[in-house]
Amino acid sequence: MKGNRWLFAIAMCVLFATMFVACAAPTPPPPQIVKETVVVQQTVAVPQTVVVQAPTKAPEPTTAPKPAITEIVMADSQSGANFQEYFQKVAIPAIKAATGISVKYLVTNEAEQLEKMKAWKPGAGDVHLYFSKNMAAAVSSGVPFEVLDTTKVPNLAKNDPVELKSAANVDLKGAGAVFWRSSYALVYNSTKVSKPPLSWKEWYDRREEFKGHIGLIRPDAKSSSAWRQRLVFLHAFLGDKMTKPIAELQNDPAFKDAWAKLIDFTSYAKKPLASEPVNLFEDFNAGDTWISLYAQDYTMWSARQGTLPPTMKSVYPTEGADIVEASYMAIPANISDDYKAAAFKVLNYLLSDDSQMRLVSTMFQYPGTNVDPNLIPALVWEYIPKMDALKKTAMPRERQRQDLINYIASKAAELTPK
Amino acid sequence: MLQTWRKYEHNATTWLLLLPAFASFFGLFAYPILVTLIQSFRPEGQADGFTFENYINFLSDPRGRDVIVLTFVLAIGTTFFSLLFSIPLALILRDKVRGHRFFRLLALIPLMVPGLIGALGLLLFFGSRGWFNLAAQALPFVTEPLTINYTLQGLMLFYVWLYFPYTALTTLSALEGLDRAVEEAGAVAGANPRQVLRYLIIPQIIPGVLAGSVLTFMTAFGAFSIPLITGGDYRPLSVQIYKEISSFIPAHWSAASAMAIVMGILQVAALTLYMRLLRQRQVR
Repeated sequence: MKGNRWLFAIAMCVLFATMFVACAAPTPPPPQIVKETVVVQQTVAVPQTVVVQAPTKAPEPTTAPKPAITEIVMADSQSGANFQEYFQKVAIPAIKAATGISVKYLVTNEAEQLEKMKAWKPGAGDVHLYFSKNMAAAVSSGVPFEVLDTTKVPNLAKNDPVELKSAANVDLKGAGAVFWRSSYALVYNSTKVSKPPLSWKEWYDRREEFKGHIGLIRPDAKSSSAWRQRLVFLHAFLGDKMTKPIAELQNDPAFKDAWAKLIDFTSYAKKPLASEPVNLFEDFNAGDTWISLYAQDYTMWSARQGTLPPTMKSVYPTEGADIVEASYMAIPANISDDYKAAAFKVLNYLLSDDSQMRLVSTMFQYPGTNVDPNLIPALVWEYIPKMDALKKTAMPRERQRQDLINYIASKAAELTPK
Repeated sequence: MLQTWRKYEHNATTWLLLLPAFASFFGLFAYPILVTLIQSFRPEGQADGFTFENYINFLSDPRGRDVIVLTFVLAIGTTFFSLLFSIPLALILRDKVRGHRFFRLLALIPLMVPGLIGALGLLLFFGSRGWFNLAAQALPFVTEPLTINYTLQGLMLFYVWLYFPYTALTTLSALEGLDRAVEEAGAVAGANPRQVLRYLIIPQIIPGVLAGSVLTFMTAFGAFSIPLITGGDYRPLSVQIYKEISSFIPAHWSAASAMAIVMGILQVAALTLYMRLLRQRQVR
């Protein structure tokens, strides 16, 4: 028995030792001994036995051209389920047809992806095109991105230079190309609302008409609609006063009035308030909700997918529905030059009129370029307002304030009518 | 000397073998709880300091107390209705009636479907234009769609749907383990079916039923997906904790941690009380 135990102990030691050796880092390949090339011996009179390192042994072909890159990897931390499907079913096949380059599509998380990119050594990056959720944060994170210009990506000339220069007051240093612009809008079921309000003030004045049918998401929901719906309402009634510091703003009579209006308006909403967007959608489908403020592209796409009534339409209130959110693509600097060339080609196609027209006509998402609206099928403009309306009514970016967003969340109980 | 060495060697081997279990327990259970506990005493947004403020704020707020009451109402109500539904179901299924396999499989569906998907399905099924209301409105006395979604009764119904299998399966398993001869003996001795059930079957299956009810209670207490999506204004503790983290930037980790600790203490206290009551009942 005692002997068995010792045998078992020895066997375990051997097993662990074997595992340890197996797990140890591989040793570099030993130098290879080449006994050959009489020519070398004769011409340079070196010893007959030449010792060389394995990696340098194989002579590189000097005449054969490098094969062109035919596949790149695109990482996407920006798209939701609708655009993930769009990339896979529409955009990537179109890229292949136009450029001959296949795109491997990878859905990622921005924080995680940026950390990975930071760890790349020059030339070793394995993501060649990056669609960022927050380009300002990506640039600020210190990840090196390729500086883009029209010599590398000619269609970059179709982007708005102001948007290329900065985002969220952060200098983008030429790293980003605007792929799309998105916004919230007043979305409504046209069978229930024949004459939609064209301003927040009009909507507020006509609130009795929509009593019990205004779709609001709970102010403590995870969805950003929770604060967007309230923030834009406050912006509509406060205007420039929105820029005041929060402590000062709370004591301002105009803010108190706007806040009271917001609480009053909330009491006309469909109750209980939607816990998350999925509940808002279900309320639209059930006919309980007629009108709301929500992401325009997702609403219209969902209507076409059958998860919202097909009669959904959208309009921008004159005071604005949201900021215009430009979304950027970038090319990491720490990838090899071959991949960079392929990524420039793909990005150039994505900014082309063909690609941008697909985007707006399939997804109701505004192009990131100055593509001529007349090229876009007229039917699209029957469902969403034209691009100039978006630009005219957009809420200034500085009014999307985190302190005010937190203030709204902290007043959730006040803004949730029973 | 040799004896002492052997004893030491034996102890060392035992501890060595227990090490992975201890490491897992500490790493996966004790450490996260410890971190949560420490965080719950930190002032909000600070990496050090000590305060009871998070607990005081939560427990002194009438809404906080309402949330605790609601969580208990939902957990206890779900356990009660699950028992009420599971015992008759198990009694029917143990007789291997026609199609019993199908019904057994059906009873397992809530456990197989992810909570969020189940919640969405229930929302659609019981919606004002869902199949339930379409069927109900075919009845002559139902003129308006019945409001089930976003009500407390509706939420309880959804909870029971999701969590009753725990009780049903353990009850069924206990029932199938019973010796039928005991029931036959009871019947021969003159007991009617009701008396057989009351005095012979139920006392014997009680341990199985109670084990299932504990599982139902615990899972219902910590339910998240169902109340998040179908709860409307009824938001139990788990959803409130989530709200503290998801609604604010930066997230209110300290407040959420304090709530989580309160939730854990209540859960353990309720379970201890429940087990003690059951033990007393069994001793009697």
